[in-house]
Amino acid sequence: MITTDELQINIGPQHPSTHGVFRMLITVDGETVVNLEPVFGYLHRNHEQLAEVNTYLQNMPYTDRLDYFNSMANNHAYALAVEKLAGIEVPERAEYIRVLMVELTRILNHAGAVGFMINDMGAWQTPLAFGIREREKILDLFELVSGARMMCNYFRFGGVVRDLPDDFIPRLKKLMVAMPAYIDELERLLRENEILLARSEGIGILPREVAVSYGVTGPVLRGSGIAYDIRKAEPYSIYDRFDFDVPVGSVGDVYDRFLVRIEEMRQSRRILEQIIEQLPDASGGHINPKARQNVRPPVGDAYARIESPKGELGFYLVSDGSTKPYRYKVRAPSFINLTPLGDMCRGYKVADIVVILGSIDIVMGEVDR
Amino acid sequence: MSNDTLTHSLTFTEAPAALTVVVDPTPQIARGSAVVVERRRPKAAGWSLLQGLGVVVDHWRKSFRKLDDTTQIAGTFTTEYPEERLPLPEAYRNMPILLFDDATGHELCTSCFQCQRICPPQVIHMTQAKDPDTGKPVPAVSEFIIEYDACMSCGFCAEVCPFDAIKMDHNFELSTADHSSLTVHKTDLLRPISYYQSIAPTFWAEAEASAYKKLETNKKRRPATIGIAPQMLAQLKAAHELRDDQQEATMPTTAVASAPAPATSSAAPPARSAALAASASDLPTDKAARLAAIRARNEAKAAVQAAPATASAAPAASDGGDLPTDKAARLAAIRARNEAKKAAEQAAAAEAAPTLATPDMPPTDVQPAASEQAAPPAPTVPDASLDEKAARLAAIRARNEAKKADEQTAAAGAAPTLATPDVPPTDVPPATSEQAAPPAPAVPDAPLDEKAARLAAIRARNAAKKAAQAEGE
Amino acid sequence: MYDVVDFILNTQLGLNSPDWVVMLISHLIVVAILFAIAPVQVLFLTYYERRAIARMQDRVGPNRVGYEGLLQPIADGVKMFTKEDIVPVSADQRVHLLAPIVTAAPVMYMFAVLPWGPNMIAVDLPTGLLFFFAISSISTVGLLMAGWASNNKFALLGAMRAVAQVVSYEIPALLSLLFAVMLTGSMSLMAIVEAQSGLFISTTDVPNIPDLGLGWFVFTPVGFLAFVCFFIAALAEGERTPFDIPEADSEIVAGYMTEYSGMKFALFYLAQYILNFLLCAITATIFFGGWQGPGIAWLVSQSLSADNPAGNPVYNVLAGMLGTFYLLAKTYAFFFVMVALRGAFPRLRIDQLMNFGWKFLIPLTMINILSAALWIAITRWGTAQGFGIIEFAGEPSNLVRWLIAFAVTLVINVAAYWFLARLNIQDHVARQAALAAGGLAVSPPRSA
Repeated sequence: MITTDELQINIGPQHPSTHGVFRMLITVDGETVVNLEPVFGYLHRNHEQLAEVNTYLQNMPYTDRLDYFNSMANNHAYALAVEKLAGIEVPERAEYIRVLMVELTRILNHAGAVGFMINDMGAWQTPLAFGIREREKILDLFELVSGARMMCNYFRFGGVVRDLPDDFIPRLKKLMVAMPAYIDELERLLRENEILLARSEGIGILPREVAVSYGVTGPVLRGSGIAYDIRKAEPYSIYDRFDFDVPVGSVGDVYDRFLVRIEEMRQSRRILEQIIEQLPDASGGHINPKARQNVRPPVGDAYARIESPKGELGFYLVSDGSTKPYRYKVRAPSFINLTPLGDMCRGYKVADIVVILGSIDIVMGEVDR
Repeated sequence: MSNDTLTHSLTFTEAPAALTVVVDPTPQIARGSAVVVERRRPKAAGWSLLQGLGVVVDHWRKSFRKLDDTTQIAGTFTTEYPEERLPLPEAYRNMPILLFDDATGHELCTSCFQCQRICPPQVIHMTQAKDPDTGKPVPAVSEFIIEYDACMSCGFCAEVCPFDAIKMDHNFELSTADHSSLTVHKTDLLRPISYYQSIAPTFWAEAEASAYKKLETNKKRRPATIGIAPQMLAQLKAAHELRDDQQEATMPTTAVASAPAPATSSAAPPARSAALAASASDLPTDKAARLAAIRARNEAKAAVQAAPATASAAPAASDGGDLPTDKAARLAAIRARNEAKKAAEQAAAAEAAPTLATPDMPPTDVQPAASEQAAPPAPTVPDASLDEKAARLAAIRARNEAKKADEQTAAAGAAPTLATPDVPPTDVPPATSEQAAPPAPAVPDAPLDEKAARLAAIRARNAAKKAAQAEGE
Repeated sequence: MYDVVDFILNTQLGLNSPDWVVMLISHLIVVAILFAIAPVQVLFLTYYERRAIARMQDRVGPNRVGYEGLLQPIADGVKMFTKEDIVPVSADQRVHLLAPIVTAAPVMYMFAVLPWGPNMIAVDLPTGLLFFFAISSISTVGLLMAGWASNNKFALLGAMRAVAQVVSYEIPALLSLLFAVMLTGSMSLMAIVEAQSGLFISTTDVPNIPDLGLGWFVFTPVGFLAFVCFFIAALAEGERTPFDIPEADSEIVAGYMTEYSGMKFALFYLAQYILNFLLCAITATIFFGGWQGPGIAWLVSQSLSADNPAGNPVYNVLAGMLGTFYLLAKTYAFFFVMVALRGAFPRLRIDQLMNFGWKFLIPLTMINILSAALWIAITRWGTAQGFGIIEFAGEPSNLVRWLIAFAVTLVINVAAYWFLARLNIQDHVARQAALAAGGLAVSPPRSA
């Protein structure tokens, strides 16, 4: 009789597919994972405490660095929170520009997330390279409006930094032509791919109940079959003006999350089309109120949340009437979505845990803050 | 291709019994619906693998064409960086820089501390300039430091700056092995406005009017060379030395030369910058040459216009008939006229064909000039560099002439009162200053002309003052 | 080579050298050429792979060093040479040092039996095929040594995976090649190549077919199925995507190579690429005629040999060059397929790999052996071999017999593929049904 022993392995903090500095302490029996303990905090940089010594506006560029893939979405959530706190109105055109940017962000995030997940599965970067190619085109647009590709710092309280340049909409329209072609091609490459099916079907099932009890949001929750999208459940900004569907999964495995992301890209493109149609012309009101540089909200607190590409991103602010927030709290989707990782991975193989981690789509900048 | 994953007993943590999930899996969704994503099956075993392979090979086949059409999804989109560069959008922001005026060398920054206050990582540090005489703060910055290594390029500094003095640069090639070089001081931060204009023309066009307006206001409150970009100052000093050498050659009496010093030093920078701007390497050469030529001519013209005014004003101020004043003023006028003529000739010569033989030049002037002009070997071709040099030369000469005129005036008029170098302008009799002022508005409103006019006015005023003092004696 | 050397030494120079001298000289020349070629091939392969996969991803790939980046592998080599050689303190020092050597050396031996052109083979072993795979298995020992000596959990996992994978997939690889041995009656690779002359139909089956060097085994149903099986097995053997599990970078960092750096790492790399090259070459040799191709037969007929002393040695050289060209062209085409696979697919999991190998590939190759036997019976056997049925059919011509064999084996192979794929898919479908029934219903939804 052969006696076998369980082996403890640290996957991370330095590991190719932990998406940053993240550690999974796994106990394996051969290749089967018996237990997994996520360990994070390696990228902690005192984000929330730092925010309390900065003025409201000074925090805006720091929110870029939370989830560095989706700086526009982070900006949006923070701007919404401060606007709620200080009671600032946003001009119509600025609202459209904001939603435009956030939906573009969603597309680029999902293009990257799908690519990275397939990369974790062992594809030699082709789906990722295709995703990055489309992402580059979107980043070019971001650079055009905000001056930076990733750390956009584009939103201001009551508007955005500057209006869209003249060649923005034509370039966006060109991009909209490429987008469905990209998504179709990605599906042709992967959707029915037997290797992908073998690697993703039935892997990392997150049952509906468990997902809800952990407070999971975003594509992970929708992959588990719950049609919960803050854009629909509690429309913020001008999301109640657009037609779009909420894709949900039926099994709650890695494959469902993959499919939900692909479908969300399509839906985002639908929203973009409607934005281009409805976008008010530049004559109606300013875009950047320069006076908003020193907000001094009244004493009180506010929580604003958006459906960020990764899930519910919320900012909770408490004001003591000064120019700096008294308390600043981020509800980061990556962090919350990461918590059920142990339950999702138990019983699967070592090779599966990186795929499951990839399917959650985390960014450590947001997890550790 | 099966696996036994299913046979695993799924060991999830049990949802707490007390928790009731109130989420409806298929809720009523406004303006849309919840769609369950379709889990497709491959049509035949292995077919989807071939399909995927087809996509990849198709990309390989198409990758031999180079594309920049963003509607396409196959083809090479690579920009091979050091050789090819993507155009940067105007809004592109990298590291902050400070701007100074091309024409006068004045920095736009007034050290209002707005950027230092807004900077999230607090990497901007500045010291406000102080008047060396009075100790009062001046709207200019004496030292300005940005720690590039900690800057996060958020662009807030450029956004809040009320004077458009700090802007975001487009230069992203900042890598260095020398860490300390990333703490950048004012001299290295300063860029001429024309540089910013070249990288962000529409942005500057929006800011231009108010920026210049504010600069003009601030310039008046800056004594001596405070607020002038150091790199301009260095060139300025070189010009100073040149002038001093000439002075020593023609006028050995240093005491006399020091008499008009305060007035000249405050007036000199604007005038000198006309020539300096031409030598500033940022401008294209032919443009610079033409600019210098125009400036030289304007200066001369202004001198011509100012001189009669002073001449007519002086008698009125000193109750007429007062010889020294009259003489000095007239002398100045004559000198100025001569010089203007020379300058005009020189400018004409510079534009037509730069010739070395300028017999009407005083020998002291020709000496440095000739050595400069000897270098260009092809005088027949109105080469851009020749033009530029000749024009600059003309400008320098015009200035020297004017200066000499001033000095001689002073020597003639104010010989006894030597030790009054720090006489503030307020000491000047009100009538004189009033009368000296008119020439300035009379001259066209372009800043160059204005400057030259002001210079002439100041000179005239000085001369009048000297005259008045002499009269008092 | 022997003939040419013999011609130069004895006929031209009149040295009258003994046979063993000629043999020694010719072998030394061949060995020198092969050992010079192998690393150069690897250098070029890495460049080729990187450029090709970059193109598949809309990138350009390395194009800086030298013309279009051709010198990039040299730069990489220089980098490898100058890197610090790090040995972990807790590693088994000697084994750690030996492992890359044990891995790299056997793959070099495999060149010995590879036919490059007509009569261009270092050693025409009668058991060449067996030698080829036997020697390649030895490098597995090196992998295990590396994994064990590194004293690293990732390395150990990688080594275990590598051994499990390579050992498992040697079975389908060899089983799928068995058909060639059966058809040619020889394990000599040269014999296998020579059997593939003809035009879509091998001259061994129908002797009067025109010889254009295109009678490749892959044109028969038996050969095609064997080719598919072998190529898949070769991917696993060479640790290529989708079977690059032992060094799955996203899971176990770099597998058994995790603790290696510098030249030792480069040796593993070298071994792997030589192996890949050889697997592609052997695929070309056994299924795609190796050096066979249009023009070879004519050149060989003109050339100098024992049978044809009046031939011109220039034709020997020309035939060799053309044969080598054909072989390399086919090899690089297969390597391109490998690269495309790497570009397109994710990798399987180790248990899925095992399932695939044991439950799908091995049964399929077994059935293919059956088809091969039928093929031989239908095309070649007569009453003498106990295949009396052929007389009842009225002694049909070779071509008709070939067509019948083609049809029969096609039916068998397609049916086998369909059946086995369905069996495996049914497994999958059952899993799907279970998922649909129980996936989300681990705790049943309670909606308000």
